[in-house]
Amino acid sequence: MRRFTVKRRGTKSASGSVWTIILLLPLFFSSLLSAQVPAEYFKQNCSSCHTIGGGRLTGPDLKNLADRQSRDWLINWMLDPEGVLKSGDPYSAKLQKEARGAVMTRSPGMTRNLAVALLDLIDEESKLDKSQFAGTQISDRPLLPEDIAEGRALFLGTMKLKNGGPSCVGCHTVNSMQGLGGGRLGLNLTRAYARLEGRKGLSAWLVSPPSLVMNPIFKEYPIDEEEVLPLVAFLKNETERDEPENATAMINFLLYGIGGAVVLLVLFDLLWNKRFRAVRQPMVSESYHK
Amino acid sequence: MAENTIYFDYLNLFWFTVLPYLALFTFFLVTIQRYRGKGFTYSSLSSQFLENKMHFWALVPFHYGVLIVLAGHAFGFLFPGQLLQWNSNLLRLYVLEISGFIGGIFTLVGLINIIVRRLTDARTKMVTTGADWFVIGILVFQIGTGLFTAIFHSWGSSWFASSLAPYLWSIVKFNPAVAYVTPLPIMIKLHIIGAFVVILLFPFTRLVHALVVPNPYLWRKPQVVRWNWDRKKIRTPEFKIHK
Repeated sequence: MRRFTVKRRGTKSASGSVWTIILLLPLFFSSLLSAQVPAEYFKQNCSSCHTIGGGRLTGPDLKNLADRQSRDWLINWMLDPEGVLKSGDPYSAKLQKEARGAVMTRSPGMTRNLAVALLDLIDEESKLDKSQFAGTQISDRPLLPEDIAEGRALFLGTMKLKNGGPSCVGCHTVNSMQGLGGGRLGLNLTRAYARLEGRKGLSAWLVSPPSLVMNPIFKEYPIDEEEVLPLVAFLKNETERDEPENATAMINFLLYGIGGAVVLLVLFDLLWNKRFRAVRQPMVSESYHK
Repeated sequence: MAENTIYFDYLNLFWFTVLPYLALFTFFLVTIQRYRGKGFTYSSLSSQFLENKMHFWALVPFHYGVLIVLAGHAFGFLFPGQLLQWNSNLLRLYVLEISGFIGGIFTLVGLINIIVRRLTDARTKMVTTGADWFVIGILVFQIGTGLFTAIFHSWGSSWFASSLAPYLWSIVKFNPAVAYVTPLPIMIKLHIIGAFVVILLFPFTRLVHALVVPNPYLWRKPQVVRWNWDRKKIRTPEFKIHK
């Protein structure tokens, strides 16, 4: 038969092709490491914590940044904020204090060249009367009970996000949720409104989430500006209610799983009760009767 | 410090770009080559004839469990939008998550029984190879990290659709987007790496039987095997076949 004759040749060509492909892999890396346009990068990675001339959010306003620190210091800071802080640098300690304990994250794909390009961008934007990064102007109107309800629906996913992003509950929970609660991949958002220092900080965060997990998703499917206010209203309400954490959600999930598995195993045993006798014996006796 | 983080990026690049392609290309090339060259080795190497009672509690829960779990992962990969749509109702999300979790527990129960059986039953122990233990080991690892993820990083059915489906499709489209996976918790990353290791090992182990499941057994008519000798007598040590 043919399949026996191709054996040796097959082995050789297969391993040969595998190695060719391994050697070609570095081609894929180049696309990953390619630089981005600084303005686009700033919008996606920086603007949720910083404005240029729009006042403080979680991080400081970056207008005229060059007057505050040397370029070398800023580049080192952007490349490795944690490291600078740990080295005992006094200015970074002051920044952390001003941000109420929050430390800047190392942005995805940050390199020395990108840091230089971003600092150039900040210098250019600082010269303008009104920078494109002066911050998102989310309406100042008072938050209404309807906003809370709409925000809750968006959070739970009963109302879809307009641009197709996944709803919050897949990864986040809030303490007012009953039953098995929301997701536990991301943070519990009960105090998110307080953590991000209120409406302005939280809005900026939602417009372009800097969380490394959320960033690639919401870059593609951003939360619409009209959805930001209801979500802020909902999360503000959660902070104000400040309910105790639903400690039983995880245990309940575990118990439902184990309970269900035990019930099914018992069912299997009942269903296949005659499993060692049921097939052969009736068939043999039937064939004798024929 | 800065150098460390860059080094870490290369590690991520290895685990989530190099390993997946290595695993997938090996999978496709070697499964085809093995089928053409050594088709008769495509087998689950069943040991059911050697021991049947414990076999039931090992194999049946394991296979029902693993089929449910794999179907869930495959659905999330192929239809992420529909999955998120289903999960937009909290009750449906809970039902789906609990069902998947039960599947995981079934897999674990089955696998524990497989291990106990292969360690305690002398005849089964005899036919167990190093490769078998390797397969069992990596499956234990996958179920461990998977169940941990289901409990502590819920709700996987939702975030799989929004984070892992785009990552997996980026691999398929030869434009890997590792940014989706690098910030995820370590248990999830280990689970993803373990999955690619399973794919890598697949063509070299008994796992290949998944590709040649005799599905017609499900609907063809049963056949009775009749023996032309005394079945009790041949089991006695004195029996010689050429007597």
